[in-house]
Amino acid sequence: MTETTQSTDAEQAAESTQTTGIDIEGGTGQPLEVTSGETREQTRDEWVEYEFDGAAKLAVEDLDVYYGDDHALKSVSMEIPENSVTALIGPSGCGKSTFLRCLNRMNDRIKAARIDGSVALEGEEIYQDGVNLVELRKRVGMVFQSPNPFPKSIRDNISYGPRKHGDLETGFLAGLLGRSDDDAVDDLVERSLRQAALWDEVQDRLDDNALGLSGGQQQRLCIARALATDPEVLLMDEPASALDPIATSKIEDLVHELAEDYTVVIVTHNMQQAARISDQTAVFLTGGELVEYGETEQVFEDPESQRVEDYISGKFG
Amino acid sequence: MAGAVESSLVNEDTSGTETIAASAVGLAAVLFALSLAALFEFVAITDPIAGVSMVVLLGALLVVLGAAVVAFGVGSRLGYVATQPRPSAGLVASVAFAGLWFVVGGLVASQTLGLGTVGWGATALVTGGVAFAATALPREDIGSTLPAGSLAILTGVIFLAGIIGPSWVWDLGWEQQASFNAEFAIPVVTAFCSLLAGWASAKAYGGFGARGRHVGAYVLVYLNALSIIAVLFLLVAFTVLKGLPGLFNGLAFGPGAGPETTLFGVTFTLPVSWPFVMNGVALLNDINGVLPAIVGTIWLVIGAVVFAVPLGVGAAVFITEYAERGRFTQVVEVATNGLWSTPSIVFGLFGLAFLVPRLGNGKSLLAGMLTLGFMLLPLVVITSREAMLAVPDEYRDASAALGVSKWQTVRSIVLPAALPGIVTGIILGVGRIAGETAPILLTMSGSVAPPGSQTVDVIGGFEFTTAPPFVDNPELLQATSALPYQLYSLITAGVGQSSNIANIDEFRWATALILLVVVLSFYAVGIATRYYFRRKLQHE
Repeated sequence: MTETTQSTDAEQAAESTQTTGIDIEGGTGQPLEVTSGETREQTRDEWVEYEFDGAAKLAVEDLDVYYGDDHALKSVSMEIPENSVTALIGPSGCGKSTFLRCLNRMNDRIKAARIDGSVALEGEEIYQDGVNLVELRKRVGMVFQSPNPFPKSIRDNISYGPRKHGDLETGFLAGLLGRSDDDAVDDLVERSLRQAALWDEVQDRLDDNALGLSGGQQQRLCIARALATDPEVLLMDEPASALDPIATSKIEDLVHELAEDYTVVIVTHNMQQAARISDQTAVFLTGGELVEYGETEQVFEDPESQRVEDYISGKFG
Repeated sequence: MAGAVESSLVNEDTSGTETIAASAVGLAAVLFALSLAALFEFVAITDPIAGVSMVVLLGALLVVLGAAVVAFGVGSRLGYVATQPRPSAGLVASVAFAGLWFVVGGLVASQTLGLGTVGWGATALVTGGVAFAATALPREDIGSTLPAGSLAILTGVIFLAGIIGPSWVWDLGWEQQASFNAEFAIPVVTAFCSLLAGWASAKAYGGFGARGRHVGAYVLVYLNALSIIAVLFLLVAFTVLKGLPGLFNGLAFGPGAGPETTLFGVTFTLPVSWPFVMNGVALLNDINGVLPAIVGTIWLVIGAVVFAVPLGVGAAVFITEYAERGRFTQVVEVATNGLWSTPSIVFGLFGLAFLVPRLGNGKSLLAGMLTLGFMLLPLVVITSREAMLAVPDEYRDASAALGVSKWQTVRSIVLPAALPGIVTGIILGVGRIAGETAPILLTMSGSVAPPGSQTVDVIGGFEFTTAPPFVDNPELLQATSALPYQLYSLITAGVGQSSNIANIDEFRWATALILLVVVLSFYAVGIATRYYFRRKLQHE
């Protein structure tokens, strides 16, 4: 799957407390960066090979991201299967959020970012000229770290995407012309909120401002808002990190249910959470390297990389 | 810890001594209010109050207050009063008291004792030095009460002894005529001393130390804020009181009392007659009014807002959301800030030189609207830009992640979230332009006391023509009046005395009151709008 990783035999180096090891080349052809307490070793390409049945929903190949001079993501290649939960874990600053934002081209919004490589959604390259960003982001929805509902009513929050895409017409003129989709809006709002397990809590106050909801409810509203555009892939950037344990467990249950119909890619800091909810796990380590990718059980119980084992057992990061 | 002052966690019962300190604070507040009343001449300083003249009363109260403050400090030092003072009152207080007593010593030596330059200089230095030592060296309870209390006592004694009496005048002896008289000096000095003694007694009330400093600062800030609000209130009350008599002359109610009015083609008679706001100035009027100026002001503001707000908000959208942040946006920012602080007469000259020749070559309402619009524009740009920058980027991210285009995001997310801020800017700007006189003087003013028939009728003035541009409005191209301009000419030029205005002074004040009311109504509309949009954005 990954051709770039031309690794030689693993050199299991001794424990090092240096921040960078210039003498060892990483598997990406880049100088290996390690933090203190981390084992020095070379990444091998078979660690990131993951076999699964069926076609890949998202196929990433040789993805490099630079923020100015900073090489944030180094030649990452991975394939993400359909209707499953893929967890991206790793210490802070390892590039997992950057990777996630590449999947719906949200990094385009950062002026300093430069992206090389290829990302294909169902075989179609999304980094080429003529890509319709509206369509791409409709198909690849995103939920952010902190809940960010718009300062509008719950109903308007949910129907915002479809209305702006022209899929639903509401308002005075549409009503005048007999083209109003108010019933369709109601259906969509109810369906999205039910999917996000929020309907029972807010069905009586759909016209209230969304900022009056609790943090956990706001985050589920954001998930419902992303679901309203009927995406195929749902990207989640640490969706539960700002929430209390009860709200977190609700989000986790929700992610589990969503995986039946959607392809979920979730970034998390919480390794127990990744182990609980994901089907496969990708471990990014310092320097923006994808070190290991495989079935969640295997990654957590029998990691092939010593660095990953150190990270999972809490020796660093 | 070495040198740390031990103080008990729970204070013993100190209600008795606290009552004394609290009454001293109260007395200081009363004195402050009295001196303000004297300053604004609600009470003349020679007026007898409770049998004694105002000066004597102020002096006696000052002595009592100062004595109370000093007594409290000394009592605390001798241990009769339980307090937690610091070792010293601090450098700031020491320098302030030293400076104060330097001035007092110098003034007493040179003015009262008549010493020469050397004499008063030496005396001032000595008193300043003593005050510094008296503040800095002893414990805080003495340091912050003694210099303040003795200053109050000294001032009180000077008033009581008649050294500064009602007929006292201090001629500064400058080339120009410059002197302080008692009507000004006595209230100001009293207010100052009461503030100082109030601060000291507030500190005493708090038991000195950290809590005392907090209470002292609190009293100062509170009195300061109150007096500012009082001045504002005074200003409005003054205008209202002076303006009311002229305003309601000839007010009458009842069916058919008012003038005939045509609105949207329907003619009816108003059930109320209010000559001052329904008439112009004419020889045959029973009571003259300022209707043309009111209508002119309202149309002026509406025109300026309609012209400047879309332009300003559009420019702000461009430089905030679209233009790359860099040299260009910086230049625009500096330019808008500079334009906002440009004097209004310069805008007026621009209107006169550029707009007037191009708009029918005469002063006109339209030229005035545009000139004031140009004045309003920079503030709308600045405040809209600030308001849009304050909209969290998370909203933009969320919208982009839903696949919504930039313009739609700006229109449906950023602008609604920024609206309260934008409206605030418009309120501020309208407050400024509605009272502008200079640009109106140069670009749109016609007759200084126009008759009611010259009331501008912008809506009714639209007429269709057969030639392009097919619509015409002569009303917009006519010179008209506005309230600030009319007020200006009524006062400076004394215009109107020849025009059958019975009581010119009443007329002026009523005009000023109407101007105030019109501007405040614009404010009220703006604040209501802002409240509405804010309510919509927040979840209450």
